[in-house]
Amino acid sequence: MKKRLIAVMLCVAMMASLLVGCKSGSEGSGDDKDSSGSAGSNTMEVEGDYTELEVWTFIELHQEFYTNMAEKWNEANPDKQVKLTLSNMQYDDMHNKLSLALESGEGAPDVVDIELGKFPAFMVGDVELMDLTESIAPYKDTTVESRLDIYSKDGSRYGLPTHVGATVAFYNTELLEGAGIDYTQIKTWDEFKAAGVKYYEATGKYFACVETFANWMINLMLVQKGGDYLDGDGNLDLTNDTLVEVLQYIKDMQDTGAFATVPGGQPDNEEAYPSYNSGDYAVQIMPFWQTSRFTSYMTDLEGDVAIAPAPVWKDGDVKSIGGGGTGTAVVKTSENADLAAEVFAFIKLSEEANKEVWNVLGFDPVNTAVWEDEELTKNPDNKFVQFFNTYPFDTLNEIKDSIAALDTLSNEKWPSINNELVTTTLNNIYENGMPVKEALEESQQTLENEFN
Amino acid sequence: MKKLLYSKKVAPYVFVLPFVITVLLFWIYPIANGVLLSFQDVLKKEWVGFKNYERLMTDKIFLKSVYNSVRYMVGTLVLLIPFPMLFASLLNSKLMKKPGFFKSIYFLPALTSVVVAGTIFRLIFGEMGTSLANQVIGIFGMEPIKWLKNEWTGYFALLCIACWRWTGVNILYFLAGLQSIPGDIYEAASIDGASKWQQFTKISFPLLKPTTVYVLTISIYAGLSMFLESFMLWKGNNSPQNIGLTIVGYLYRQGIEKRALGYACAVGLVLLVVVMVINLIQLKATGTFDKEER
Amino acid sequence: MSRGKKKDRITSIFLVIMFSILAILIIIPVYTIFIASFKPGGDLLQYGLNLGIDWSRMSLDNYKLLFTGQHDYWQWFFNSIILTVITVVLTLLVSAFVGYGFAAYEFKGRNVLFVIVLIILSVPFEVVMLPLYKQMSSWGLMDSYVAVVLPFLAHASTIFFFRQYLLGIPKSLLEAGRIDGATEYGIFLRLVVPIMKPAFAAMAILNGMNAWNNYLWPLLVVRSSDKYTLTLGLNTLINPYGDNYSLLVVGAFFSIVPIFILFVCFQKYFIEGMTAGAVKE
Repeated sequence: MKKRLIAVMLCVAMMASLLVGCKSGSEGSGDDKDSSGSAGSNTMEVEGDYTELEVWTFIELHQEFYTNMAEKWNEANPDKQVKLTLSNMQYDDMHNKLSLALESGEGAPDVVDIELGKFPAFMVGDVELMDLTESIAPYKDTTVESRLDIYSKDGSRYGLPTHVGATVAFYNTELLEGAGIDYTQIKTWDEFKAAGVKYYEATGKYFACVETFANWMINLMLVQKGGDYLDGDGNLDLTNDTLVEVLQYIKDMQDTGAFATVPGGQPDNEEAYPSYNSGDYAVQIMPFWQTSRFTSYMTDLEGDVAIAPAPVWKDGDVKSIGGGGTGTAVVKTSENADLAAEVFAFIKLSEEANKEVWNVLGFDPVNTAVWEDEELTKNPDNKFVQFFNTYPFDTLNEIKDSIAALDTLSNEKWPSINNELVTTTLNNIYENGMPVKEALEESQQTLENEFN
Repeated sequence: MKKLLYSKKVAPYVFVLPFVITVLLFWIYPIANGVLLSFQDVLKKEWVGFKNYERLMTDKIFLKSVYNSVRYMVGTLVLLIPFPMLFASLLNSKLMKKPGFFKSIYFLPALTSVVVAGTIFRLIFGEMGTSLANQVIGIFGMEPIKWLKNEWTGYFALLCIACWRWTGVNILYFLAGLQSIPGDIYEAASIDGASKWQQFTKISFPLLKPTTVYVLTISIYAGLSMFLESFMLWKGNNSPQNIGLTIVGYLYRQGIEKRALGYACAVGLVLLVVVMVINLIQLKATGTFDKEER
Repeated sequence: MSRGKKKDRITSIFLVIMFSILAILIIIPVYTIFIASFKPGGDLLQYGLNLGIDWSRMSLDNYKLLFTGQHDYWQWFFNSIILTVITVVLTLLVSAFVGYGFAAYEFKGRNVLFVIVLIILSVPFEVVMLPLYKQMSSWGLMDSYVAVVLPFLAHASTIFFFRQYLLGIPKSLLEAGRIDGATEYGIFLRLVVPIMKPAFAAMAILNGMNAWNNYLWPLLVVRSSDKYTLTLGLNTLINPYGDNYSLLVVGAFFSIVPIFILFVCFQKYFIEGMTAGAVKE
């Protein structure tokens, strides 16, 4: 009897706490922390007539950005106001749900952020996304074309890019100076490697990581050598000499002891941030958008990090490659597809948007004219300008005309290739010590089986 | 009409009707559908004959996932049947004080969702030196291990989750079975001079057979269809070298992540056949099936 | 005699020690997350989970966030409770109804149907998951709790259990009911259901656990984040944005507590029910 009483009381207490929770949830505003964008959905306030658009994203930072830009759109277009309902989901879940929704023709949102690595999967068969070529037209001239091309198929464009994602080097100058290394002297991969060895000897700590769960540095090195994962006819070719050379070079770097795998397998991983934050690794070769990870998750490094062009093999090599990205797409079957396309082209590609991409997200905008607007890029109030000890855009402008693209990344085979690389190949080589050639041969075989 | 519905002849069918409807709608129909889909390339909307099945036979990753699932199942059978049975017998003994307290504690893990449990174990088996697993082996002077990046240590972590979550549940199953064995059998044996161990092997063990068969059946089923534990432990479906990939994980990867619905259905049907065959053999071997049919 | 008693006492102490060790092993993971719930969420990633207590880093901030912060945790919690209660109540009613049909009557086709129950017991749900998903969406049931609950109403293992349990009731009770003029359904509702209480308790806990922890199927079927259950919601927090990890660790811990206390309170009925319905020859 007593136990039952306790149970009943507990139920009551639980219900009561639920009510309290709900209440404070709807009021809560006194919180000075930035937790308002936390998981779940977000709806904006709009006065007057509006059209509601459902937006899915897997990057919480995007929510604030989209809402800000939508408000600007509403100000300028009072006759075509929109109200965004943003749902934030986990990366895999969101893409999976999208693919299920498109397949069943039901439950898809109006607008969705699709990650570059997943994009080709939505280009197979009948494309269920809307052709955005027309909506992009007004902004086409000011936008880096290669970033539009990665989200296209047969000449039609299906995704609105967010950034260029130019791959650069992030040097922890405080640590490097302690070891007597001047990062500005590092121009080639050989120098990079030598600096690593010197740093390791001086400090006993790792210089940079060897990627096992991504291929930012690998892709850059590969493109600089003119290599690829596919042969000229678009067939899978993992065992080509260039790829073997690149992976072997990295393997040699690892063998010096100065380079090592990192928890999480790559610098942009929640398990890796703490390793960088505490100074276990000094350097990252990452796309430019890593800036936002520094200000959010590696806050102890404020004032210690310089951005510089990534190393090259030899003079004349391309200096950078666009890495990663999110293409915002409109679902073809959406009732408001036309409006959504127009609004989101504005939200993502207008000059205003490009400025916001830098101000809010800290990314390198796809409108490179904005890169030269020093008022914007050297604004002392900007948190990214404050964080780094070089002006981020100085580096970007330096490499601006030498940013390559790897076409394979928009090939429909890429998601599978990438998956194999990051789960198996790179782990075989850098965690288990399998010879490079052998690991690649094995993966080539696995993938051939899948593609046939 | 009403009279008919209430008659003793019709009533039994009314009683089992919800089951029949459920089976038709939610099992037979989808399975039939799955069979049809498994002969198609759903994205391209074309029939491909046995191509999906042919591909399965040479798909190394699929075979790896089968290996992983079977290995996991065997591990759970070895760990989660004998030990809980023994523990239950001891807990049931009159010498054991406060068994209720222990039963509650042992059941606690089953009440935690796999999402929470997987996350806890992922962080316990973190590769940094300060994670619990590495601290423990550190006591024995061992260097930190990358638990979730190596085949056998990853397997170990999976088995840890399984044991943690299910030991208590299985203990309760066996306890329930033990409590339906009349106490005077033990008394008689004890008077005849049987030791506790003999009582366990000669009385408890044989009389627990129905419970054991039941636990065995659901363990085979649960072991082969395990997915979420691995999904949470590796924070997604992609583990290094697919050391955590299970059959259901592969089904999920193909059907949802890679949108190859037809191929995924073929994977599902293979899983179905494997589970059925193993269970039929097991039920036949233990003689349970014959009894039920009679 | 006294020597036997002494030996018994030693055995008894030995048993308590052994089971205490087992209990400690089982408690440790829960304990680590309990400790972690007082540490900043970021520590999770940097140090993993461990038993370390560092008073200078511990605070009630996470709990403050849980109870007063702006997030959807309580919405998820509430959804999970609603969904669990609905699932358990409906599943128990429907399965008991069916189980009674199998236990109380001889009818043509019974054995065939019962074998089907046994077979379904061992069909992994994941096999039908994808085709079922297509089916649900063509019926327009996507993003509704109906689709989450419906496939599990007549639950094979629950039916099996109830049938086992009901085999034990005397047929004379049913006959007496008939003589009193009760209908077949009246007998079930007025005579049988009341004596099934322990069985209901046992199955309520097992089905409740499943519903509370269910992940994969709701993940596919539920879309809107305001309908997320606790498991779906907690999973969205595995992402280091903002205070997510702080909320995750305290939310994960908090999701265990109430259920555990409820279990402890109803434990007696649970064991009773399990025993009565235990698999019989």
